[in-house]
Amino acid sequence: MRKICLFVLSALLIGVAGKSQGNYSDFARQSSRLQELARSHPKYAQLKSLAKTSGNRDIWLLTLGAANADSRPAIAIAGGVEGNNPLSTELVIGFAEELLRDIGSDSVRQLLEKTTFYLFPNMSPDAMEQYFAKLQYERTGNARSTDDDRDGKSDEDGMEDLDGDGKITFMRIASPVGEFLLHPDDNRVLVKADPAKPQVGKYLLMQEGIDNDKDGKWNEDGEGGVAFNKNMSFKHPSFTPGAGEFPISEIENRAMLDFLFERFNVYAVVNFSSHNNLSQPNTFNQAQANAPVISGWQDADVKVNGTVSEVYNKIIKQKDAPKSPNPGGDFQSWAYFHYNRFAFSTPGWWVPKTKPDSTKQEKAFTQEDPVANYLRWAGQNGVENYFTPWKKINHPDFPNQEVEVGGVHPFVMHTPPYQLTKDIVRKHKQFVVELAGMQPELDLLNLKTEKLGQGITRVTVDVANLGLLPSHTKLGERSYWIKRILVTAGLAKGQEIISGRARHTLGALPGQSSETISWLIKGSGILTLEAGSPTTGTKSIKVSL
Amino acid sequence: MIRKIFSLLVFLSLLLTTMAQNADQVFKAAGSPVNPKVPISWNRYNDHAGITDICRKIAKAHPDLAKLESIGKSYEGRDIWVLTVTDFKSGSPDQKPGMYIDGNIHSNEVQGAEFALYTAWYLTETFHDTRFIKELLADKVFYIVPSINPDGRDSYFHAPNTGSSPRSGVIPVDNDRDGLVDEDGYDDLDGDNEILMMRRKNPRGRYRVDPTDPRRMIQVGVDEVGEYELLGLEGKDNDGDGLVNEDGYTFQYDPNRDWGWGWQPNYIQGGAYKYPFSLPENRAVMEFVMKHPNIAAAQSYHNAGGMILRGPGDPTDQVTYNPADVRVYDAIAQKGEELIPGYKYLVVHKDLYPAYGGELDWFYGGRGVYTYSNELWTPFLFFNKPATRGAQDESSFLFDRWLLFKDAFVDWHEFDHPQYGKIEIGGFKKNFGRAHPGFLLESDAHRNMSFTIYHAYHTPKLVIDSLQETNLGGGLKKNHGYRFEYTFNAYPFEP
Repeated sequence: MRKICLFVLSALLIGVAGKSQGNYSDFARQSSRLQELARSHPKYAQLKSLAKTSGNRDIWLLTLGAANADSRPAIAIAGGVEGNNPLSTELVIGFAEELLRDIGSDSVRQLLEKTTFYLFPNMSPDAMEQYFAKLQYERTGNARSTDDDRDGKSDEDGMEDLDGDGKITFMRIASPVGEFLLHPDDNRVLVKADPAKPQVGKYLLMQEGIDNDKDGKWNEDGEGGVAFNKNMSFKHPSFTPGAGEFPISEIENRAMLDFLFERFNVYAVVNFSSHNNLSQPNTFNQAQANAPVISGWQDADVKVNGTVSEVYNKIIKQKDAPKSPNPGGDFQSWAYFHYNRFAFSTPGWWVPKTKPDSTKQEKAFTQEDPVANYLRWAGQNGVENYFTPWKKINHPDFPNQEVEVGGVHPFVMHTPPYQLTKDIVRKHKQFVVELAGMQPELDLLNLKTEKLGQGITRVTVDVANLGLLPSHTKLGERSYWIKRILVTAGLAKGQEIISGRARHTLGALPGQSSETISWLIKGSGILTLEAGSPTTGTKSIKVSL
Repeated sequence: MIRKIFSLLVFLSLLLTTMAQNADQVFKAAGSPVNPKVPISWNRYNDHAGITDICRKIAKAHPDLAKLESIGKSYEGRDIWVLTVTDFKSGSPDQKPGMYIDGNIHSNEVQGAEFALYTAWYLTETFHDTRFIKELLADKVFYIVPSINPDGRDSYFHAPNTGSSPRSGVIPVDNDRDGLVDEDGYDDLDGDNEILMMRRKNPRGRYRVDPTDPRRMIQVGVDEVGEYELLGLEGKDNDGDGLVNEDGYTFQYDPNRDWGWGWQPNYIQGGAYKYPFSLPENRAVMEFVMKHPNIAAAQSYHNAGGMILRGPGDPTDQVTYNPADVRVYDAIAQKGEELIPGYKYLVVHKDLYPAYGGELDWFYGGRGVYTYSNELWTPFLFFNKPATRGAQDESSFLFDRWLLFKDAFVDWHEFDHPQYGKIEIGGFKKNFGRAHPGFLLESDAHRNMSFTIYHAYHTPKLVIDSLQETNLGGGLKKNHGYRFEYTFNAYPFEP
């Protein structure tokens, strides 16, 4: 009993502490925020641990929805598919907190009566803890020990904090054969020398560390692991660091897929990651879309992507997003190409293109560079603690060379200062709610019965999709893991079908469209027509013959 | 007390019947164990319980040569057995190059299990009197998994099926995606545990009866009229949708499209399940292989057609199958063509069809292990001359008539069909066409085994050939060690 009291007390304390939170949440705090949501909204929020990672952390699934959540069309939302992205986890947990805070309102309750949300706040809990660790660096691999450089030893050459600032930044080594130069407008920044111009490099640039195993490579096999976002099955980058021995080799990836493949009701996947098809939608590439191994979105699905992107950009007005990384083992590609659902991803935030501040005598850059742009933005916006000035050190691997340690801090270029997240969370919540408003929804319209004599009636009905989104993706028409729309004519005793099928399946029904189906039925009494699928819900009507 | 004595007697009599014959009564046939500790009939098939029994007997009779363990459970909870066969008294098995052999990944392709078991039996029973096998088991280890699909195997034997069904394992899949699962499969209308053909008299049919063999249906020419129509495989329209046999359990998914190299989803590669190794049986094999990095060669047994197959299944995967490795593949398989008459060495994507996510591609692409899939049994073996299983080739009927005395065929007999009316049911039994007839089973098992032994023999062996020492002066010496990789050009295969 005393234990329970203590538990309640500590839960309360955590709750109080949460109100004044000024930083991203570590795993313990992510868990307590999720537990608090489930505890205080038992009717609408269920928390489940799908698995424990090799680092012994839970893969949480928070299901938001009214009773029988699995029976309703659903959106899955993922954070932490990249372990170096604490903002993504904040966006998912923040979505749940924002939504449930307004659970008293009719609109939110109606939303949860209509749509289920499967939230995966953090798919890389092992890696993300590195953000909060004593030594901070951008890690994506889980706690599995791997031999990244395939030399027979695991985790034998990681990074070292040579200047003792608690962060892995960079080291620059003066060298006549270096590939890097100082940026012409900001000497804190290094840029690649362009031999075509021609420019001659002056520095080697690498991450802070020592060649621990003396193989002539620096930091090539550090702690961890397999990265969730490199271990998926679409274009798995086999035999590259972080990819795993084969696709879906990791506990995290399997736990999520085992869950999602049994959820036929999921029609869209929202993903907060460096992949971006929301501020900048996919385009149609005929060759890729028709290749034997399809690697481009289908035309109809590209159009849907365009519509959803319009909605996103109306809410999130930020332009100039960084280029999406190439696909390969990533969750976003999997969600469309192998799960065959509408898949939408956004980084959620990126550094705005920053104009020179004339009061500070800043001039337009003569060379575009993301780090220089970031430093200018951070300086103008009062950001603290984002850069370590270059400082000479003695490096054991370069005994007679000039080595300096410093540079931009890890994470900061894609992780906004925490006080900005409130607004980012609010806007992305609004986007997801509007996406749910576009949900496919079936209705049976224009029912017509015509007596043809001899007890025979022609029954005609339009199966309509009232939503803006199609019932499922065009690509999904060909997958076992998508259910078709099933239209049935349920006969009363004495009724008989003369023409037409008792069970009829339809392909992807586009948004705001309908298909006409008719039967010849002999006999009288009540005929029940029904149309439905897990992603659209089910409608039925009774016809008196 | 009486009961005890009785059961002792039963036990003793069992012991006597299972014990080997008296050594005086038998004379050794060349190349076969004359008086095996575990007598097994190699002219019949074994269900999962039968395989389990044989595995246990081999492990028990040869404790220093064979160990039995379960590498995991199937979907329905059957053990997936592996027999580790090596000379356990000579070196550590984990330090020896491993030859992995499995069978029966496709449920109906049953004889791979017997071929694999025959290998374990032969190695253990001939070890003591065959010098070559003794040396082989000192150097190498065999991991033999008779069936990596025990649920499907039992289903093939014990449920009504054709020779081609089920290919799949038994996890239900809604293949036609209408929300119902397996609602309209085959029906064993006449209750003989076989799924045969249905035919119906029709004055405008496209078939007539062969005047020389009334069992056989012949397609008539374009300007002729026959007397029968063929209605497909035994079944009826169970769900009233106007289609017969459209969603049965016999094709849910393909276990050989579930492996983690070049895997593609089901809309590209029909039969793929959720993701690589999402089927529990394959996952167990993968985990076993990952724990045994000493596996250097692999063989998977399928049926049918008489083929020695290598990858790639993916037509675009030529980079992985590089010229140096293909030379090794070619050399071993060409020997295989010699050892197994009627079998041809072929490449999956080129000579068969593109197939993504197959077992042989993961073993090679993912683990670097030279791997073959043999398609066991070929109609060539009917009369040791070219023949096919095609409907217009009468070899099957002649072979059944003259050598099997019509044991392989169920004669056409009448049946009242709920949808088709008066029909006739008949055709070849499921044990004919893809599975070996009994008397040819042992012979072909032996030939295929000899191919895997040839393959296993050529797994790498590092030896220091000669050692030379040079005095460099000043107390320094230099050793010239000649490390030598034992590939098959280095030492000829000479038992």
